[in-house]
Amino acid sequence: MTRRDLLRLAACALASEGATEFFGAWLQAGMPAHAHGTQPPEPSLLREYKPKFFNADDFAALQSFTEILIPTDGTPGAREAHCAHFIDFVLDASSEVAPEAGRQWREAMRALKAIGFHAAASADREAIVAAMARPERERGAAHPAYFAYRLIKQQNTFAFYTSRAGLIEALEYKGNTYNATFPACDHPEHRVID
Amino acid sequence: MPDKYDAIVVGSGACGSWAAMELTGAGMNVLMLEAGPRIDPAEQFRHKFPYELDYRGRGRPGLLRRYAGSERNYRIMIDNVENPYTTSPETVYSWGRSRCLGGRTLHWARATDRMADYEFKAASRDGYGIDWPVSYADVKPYYDRIESFIGVSAAAEGFPQFPDGIFLPPMALNCAETIFTAACTSLGWPSTHRRLAQLTRPHNGRPPCHYCGNCVNGCDVGAMFNPIAVTLPPALHTGKLEIRTDSIAARIRMNAENRAEGITYIGRESKTSVDVDATWVVLAASTLENTRLLLLSSKGGLANSSGTLGQYMMDQVGGGGVSGILPKLKGGPSRLDDGKMAGITIPAFENIDTKTRRKDFIRGYVMNATGGQTEFPQFAANLPGYGSEWKKEVKSRYVAQARVWIAGGEMLARRDNFVELDPEVKDHWGIPVLKIHFTHGDNDYTLIEDFQQKAEELFRKAGGELMPGPVMPAGFPGGAGSPEGAPVRQGSGANAATSRRRPLGGSIHECGTARMSVSPKDGVLNSYCQTHDVPNLYVFGGNAFPSTGDKHPTLTMMALAARGCDHLIASSKG
Repeated sequence: MTRRDLLRLAACALASEGATEFFGAWLQAGMPAHAHGTQPPEPSLLREYKPKFFNADDFAALQSFTEILIPTDGTPGAREAHCAHFIDFVLDASSEVAPEAGRQWREAMRALKAIGFHAAASADREAIVAAMARPERERGAAHPAYFAYRLIKQQNTFAFYTSRAGLIEALEYKGNTYNATFPACDHPEHRVID
Repeated sequence: MPDKYDAIVVGSGACGSWAAMELTGAGMNVLMLEAGPRIDPAEQFRHKFPYELDYRGRGRPGLLRRYAGSERNYRIMIDNVENPYTTSPETVYSWGRSRCLGGRTLHWARATDRMADYEFKAASRDGYGIDWPVSYADVKPYYDRIESFIGVSAAAEGFPQFPDGIFLPPMALNCAETIFTAACTSLGWPSTHRRLAQLTRPHNGRPPCHYCGNCVNGCDVGAMFNPIAVTLPPALHTGKLEIRTDSIAARIRMNAENRAEGITYIGRESKTSVDVDATWVVLAASTLENTRLLLLSSKGGLANSSGTLGQYMMDQVGGGGVSGILPKLKGGPSRLDDGKMAGITIPAFENIDTKTRRKDFIRGYVMNATGGQTEFPQFAANLPGYGSEWKKEVKSRYVAQARVWIAGGEMLARRDNFVELDPEVKDHWGIPVLKIHFTHGDNDYTLIEDFQQKAEELFRKAGGELMPGPVMPAGFPGGAGSPEGAPVRQGSGANAATSRRRPLGGSIHECGTARMSVSPKDGVLNSYCQTHDVPNLYVFGGNAFPSTGDKHPTLTMMALAARGCDHLIASSKG
């Protein structure tokens, strides 16, 4: 939808009897946010963020773990999305109202350290994560730090796919924009059931 | 400011704003009292991507313990700390509320369905409860009036159980909805575009939907029906409407002639008490708040000669459903699938006549189905694996997501589901709060089991592949260690965990507690939503419903309000 389309709609709306008080300011105020049809850049919060919840060792381990889970490949990964920073940011903000969340994460980091993740070289870390993840696919498999894998995976997934890198660049999300029409299904094969 | 208004309307939502428009249009001086603030749509409804918000839409940890909703829309919800309610030990009920000018219609699902005579006259058919004192023919002119004014996008289908109306063109179907439609056809089930109070072309000076998908966060152009874009502007244009926001109605004052004299309200910030008088009093503060006001206004409840005030509380049955992917769509290109937040509707096809009668349950339900891309891939954290292959699989499934859910399932009215004033707990302003007694019965459980079977049957027919449910991250609502795990007084009865069956969900479609009836012995309201006992007191909202029906209730609430306004205006002329 172009700026001209928006101005036409605004003029149409303002012609309505009695609509001016609420509606005029409303519509016009909403226009700049979407008039160009592009997704805004990521704010600087996480780029400039210094970890507060985790100590330096744990944060480095967490950062490495998140990047193994969601690597940078043809599309951005956890590194570009600053996933570890976001996790630290949320946990720091949770400390008073949700201390249980903080305890879980400290326990997870202790478990990670206990199995040697912190001290391991890069290639060995990949092997450690692979072992930790086995119960996810194999019935009957167990690992003492599986809960840590799940916890990091859950929060990392959320951090990544709500970031600009994950949502816009990796998933190519199309919503939250102004559109003149809705794209109807135009696939004949979808109109029949096999 | 007149000494005495022609009418006071309490509440500014779908029914209150409609009443204000009708009454001012008839020349009445109207005072509207809204308990919440006047919000600034230009500021509050600006769309944002999750990454533009510090907490990605979940709010600062702890924030959503106080408010329902999300970081994007909590300001149009209610402050649960200031506005508590209590529940009996066996009750599991979450009362979804808003307090702001415009009410819940600022973030509603926009479903705008007409009820049919098989719902209005259900008691005559199956012997349970009481019939409504109105028929479809009585309500139809008001459905027509409202649809014509607010704009409803839909397709006329000719289904007798899903009456057609005055429609704008329907919203186009996305790929998943097209597949589900084909599956319904294959199963011999009816289906149609979801009927929505959302414009597909300019209407009454409002622009059409621009398919951003942000409906529940407040529409930034007024393309979906809500009072501040649609009904309040013309009411204000008459010069006969005065709106007082932050004004919490505390009781209805009566005079010696058994007429409502006016309302006493309390300033939200000042906490001072103010009396305002009117010839007519209209309660439209939402179903349970209306009943609370009646209970607060007289010992034993005002307009309660029937003894039914507060009783027969209902909410359409929710819960269950199916989610997964449609393999046909896997790996396809990214599309704007959630730009309309709509879907298809599968009207009830059981218990609608003698041929479709079920032996194991009465009444029925409506299903919805949709799919495709959504903002956040809820399934991803539960998808086994990690690394680049996992990322590819997430993206491949992202565009193929699909779900079937219950749009509205009829909950049977039972006298032992009721609300009363809590004898001890008061809100932030010292007003006694409601205590809710609410459980589901055998029929509700059987109905939801049937829905679950049908949802899975539809999903299988569409070729769907089930996926595990979503997981919330630790520290966020619903996630491990979440501070929102037990919201403040949000209805988790202490005995619920020991119940023999899992609690069913609700639909934020609370109804009943001041039902309409032919005889004053059976209910609080007559067929015009006028109280049987107090001639100048009307109650608009879901209170009036003797049964929930299986349709979304807002359009019927508004139609009853419009019918009541006609009656009030005629009565005022003598």
